Amino acid sequence: METEMMTYALRDPAGVPTHPIVFFIVGIATWALHIAAVAIMLGGATLAILGSYKNDTNWHRLAHAMVDVSKIAVSVAIVIGVAPLLTTQVIYDPFWYTSNVLSAWWVIAFVGILIVGYWFMYFFYFRNYSGEKTEKPKSTWSLIVSVALLLFVGWIMHVLSVQTLYPEQWQEWYAPNGQLDTSGTGMHAYNFWRYAFFISLAAPVIGAWLVAYRRYFMAREDSDQAYLDWAGNLGLKLMNVGGVVTVLLGVAWMLTLPEKTAGFATSIWAFMALAALLGFAAIGIMTRSRMDSWGYVPMIAATVAGIVIALSREMLRYVTLNGVHGYNFMDYTINMDWYSTIMFFATFIIVGGLVLGYLLTVAWKAGQTKGVYVPSGGVQTLGKLAVWSIAIWILQYFVAGFWVLAQ
Amino acid sequence: MELIGLYPTWYEPGVGSGWVVAIIATIHVLASHTSVGAALFFTYLSTKAYREDRPELLDYVKKYGLFLLVFAYVLGSITGPGIWYSTTVASPRGISALIHTFVWKWATEWVFFVIEVVGVYMIVYLVGKVDKRTHMIISWVFGLASYTTMLIILGILSFMMWPGQEEFFQTGGYLNGFYGENTFAHLAMRTAFMFTMTAVVGGIVAAGIKDAAFKKEMARKLAILGIVSTLVGLAFYPWYLGTIPETAKLVMENRLPGYFGPALVGVMGAILAYFIATLIQPRILVTGLAGTMAVLILVFGLWPEETARESIRKPYVAGQYVYSNQVIARDVPGMGVKSEIPLLEKHGMLKTMPLLPDNLREVSETNQVHAGEAVALTMCSNCHSLSNSGIRPLKNYIGTTDVALIETYLKGALATGNTLYMPRIPLQDDEAGALAEYLAVLSEGGPAAVAEAKAQEREKQRQLAQSGDKLVFAADSEQEVK
Repeated sequence: METEMMTYALRDPAGVPTHPIVFFIVGIATWALHIAAVAIMLGGATLAILGSYKNDTNWHRLAHAMVDVSKIAVSVAIVIGVAPLLTTQVIYDPFWYTSNVLSAWWVIAFVGILIVGYWFMYFFYFRNYSGEKTEKPKSTWSLIVSVALLLFVGWIMHVLSVQTLYPEQWQEWYAPNGQLDTSGTGMHAYNFWRYAFFISLAAPVIGAWLVAYRRYFMAREDSDQAYLDWAGNLGLKLMNVGGVVTVLLGVAWMLTLPEKTAGFATSIWAFMALAALLGFAAIGIMTRSRMDSWGYVPMIAATVAGIVIALSREMLRYVTLNGVHGYNFMDYTINMDWYSTIMFFATFIIVGGLVLGYLLTVAWKAGQTKGVYVPSGGVQTLGKLAVWSIAIWILQYFVAGFWVLAQ
Repeated sequence: MELIGLYPTWYEPGVGSGWVVAIIATIHVLASHTSVGAALFFTYLSTKAYREDRPELLDYVKKYGLFLLVFAYVLGSITGPGIWYSTTVASPRGISALIHTFVWKWATEWVFFVIEVVGVYMIVYLVGKVDKRTHMIISWVFGLASYTTMLIILGILSFMMWPGQEEFFQTGGYLNGFYGENTFAHLAMRTAFMFTMTAVVGGIVAAGIKDAAFKKEMARKLAILGIVSTLVGLAFYPWYLGTIPETAKLVMENRLPGYFGPALVGVMGAILAYFIATLIQPRILVTGLAGTMAVLILVFGLWPEETARESIRKPYVAGQYVYSNQVIARDVPGMGVKSEIPLLEKHGMLKTMPLLPDNLREVSETNQVHAGEAVALTMCSNCHSLSNSGIRPLKNYIGTTDVALIETYLKGALATGNTLYMPRIPLQDDEAGALAEYLAVLSEGGPAAVAEAKAQEREKQRQLAQSGDKLVFAADSEQEVK
């Protein structure tokens, strides 16, 4: 059976409520943020493990700080990851759902393993919660288990993603030799280099984070500049070495693409990703002599590189599924729903902007303040606006509901 | 030939894919309802702490918040997408229908999730690091944003049961699908019980308070919250029942297990008794008792409630147009959706399902049990286990090994949609025959007998293939001689 006919048959007949390109773009932007959080989570936890084994107070302080960062990054990675998961289901439903069903046990295992992995991180955190932050951390084994489990759930996601790219093999995976296999226990396709490439982003990204970490805490009057300089220099090293490793793994991934999409390796999209990575590494080198003034520049560069990589990754999927298998998400039937479309963007821009603007400003300022932070009048006004924006949102929810019921 | 959009099947023989979804969903409901209720409770406490200058209330917020972060937020934030994952593999077209109708609503909820996650960390870690007024404003943002997530998911849950307005089928549209009579009744009842869960889980943290007077105050606050919310929730229950469709009521009356009603009454009674006891005698509040009550709610309250909600929308799984076996059962002109029943009537499942191997597309003497099993896996296994355990084992429902009798039922009642609670499953004659054969074997000897029958069929296929090879070889030799 032709894959084109099969995948179009599986497409949801309900269509999409907005032009599909919007979901494509939202998916790229949010996936970039998701993978950035994943990189910080893995990079931070790995540094915490390394720091736990060193006999150096700088490393111990860093280990304590990084497990805090990593713990929050797991939450952020999970919550941000929901968005690209949503958009993938909208425009690539036949591929995502089939891939998931064929490896169903691993999909369910993903949920359990992630919970356990996260709890092991909390275990490490609480074991070291009350002690001095320069002491050698205890129970490092629990953080190692946590990282191993997080890497494994990453592997499950990797397999699910790669399987979507091989619709021509689905039937053989579902019914090998004509016998139905409904167990969902198989992992059918993977590319080690692709997986290693995305995981390796952790090194340069956490490097950029450390440079920003140094700059951020410099503003505190009780900061320890020697420690911060040490952490910033470690960050630069990680950006350089990690950048090289990442580029090499990316090249290895491109060289091992299947024959049907081998041409992608020399496409504009692959070169864009390469350029973004090299640019990111160059920013690392340029920051060396201006760490004070460029403290946040590497993180901005990491974000830009992440978006370019996310775009290239999506284009590989598009080239594979449209170019090779004839499935074009752009021709999805549109059942335009203006209300929900406008409501999302209004909520995202107005409520999200006001509320997150307020919360992040307070968090930022509080972190840089010794003692109790008291916001200025402007920030307090922003806080009131944030509360009112949600209250008005709730009001419109009920007004819309009563209006519909009254019709 | 035109195809039907049926995905491959994931079949879990132990408990069944439906229960896997239910387990994850039940845990999620406990974690998420507790979190949302606690967020609003924190708003109250933080406001009180600011107005009355009582820092110890913020200490309690910090402790409860940290407890929530470790348990409710880890569990809730992972089992939330976990419900997507589990329904993706158990019921891909059901979740797809919801996603494609409510994608922007989910995306809007996601904005509030992000606020919630940032908010909970700030609520916990900024106690003592920002002034009380700022903490109060953060707690208002956090509480309101958390409740908004409840508002949104409620409409989607109500749609799963029944689209809000009949007009949805004709004109489509998010508003028509989202808002209905059931939406606000459902919301009111869940909001009340959400505070019940908050009060129970909050007791686990309050039990650890060292200051006796403060512990007494918090235990009483939680007890009052628990008693009021439980009574209000019970008062809303008849309203909720009054808004569910007639068919759902019929299913409730006929199909819910006997223990459902008594279990709910029992757990509500136990919870009320617990709160009254801790109100009168706060010192009996200990971690073990509060923890036991949380487990009681999970196992005897939420589990029956979630499985009942799943059951009463049968035979549909989403929006009254996607059957639990993934077939689209009716036209929804407003969304451009067409029923797949006519295509099934015309060609059957085996010829129209993508990803089925060619050797199962035609029924023959050598693949009857195999083909019958393929039909059962696709059409039945979502609600009926094909093994001896799990959800409603099909084996227990057949009641005969008479193939002809089973076939008569399949063609007479199932194919015409005349069985309460069951989808209409049009079958071609050969499919009905194969399914009847499979069911008879299953009824007689269970999965072991099916495995044996399939082995025999494979042996027949092998012998046939060998004799075919011999014939081809003989024909080739004859040709060479000529």
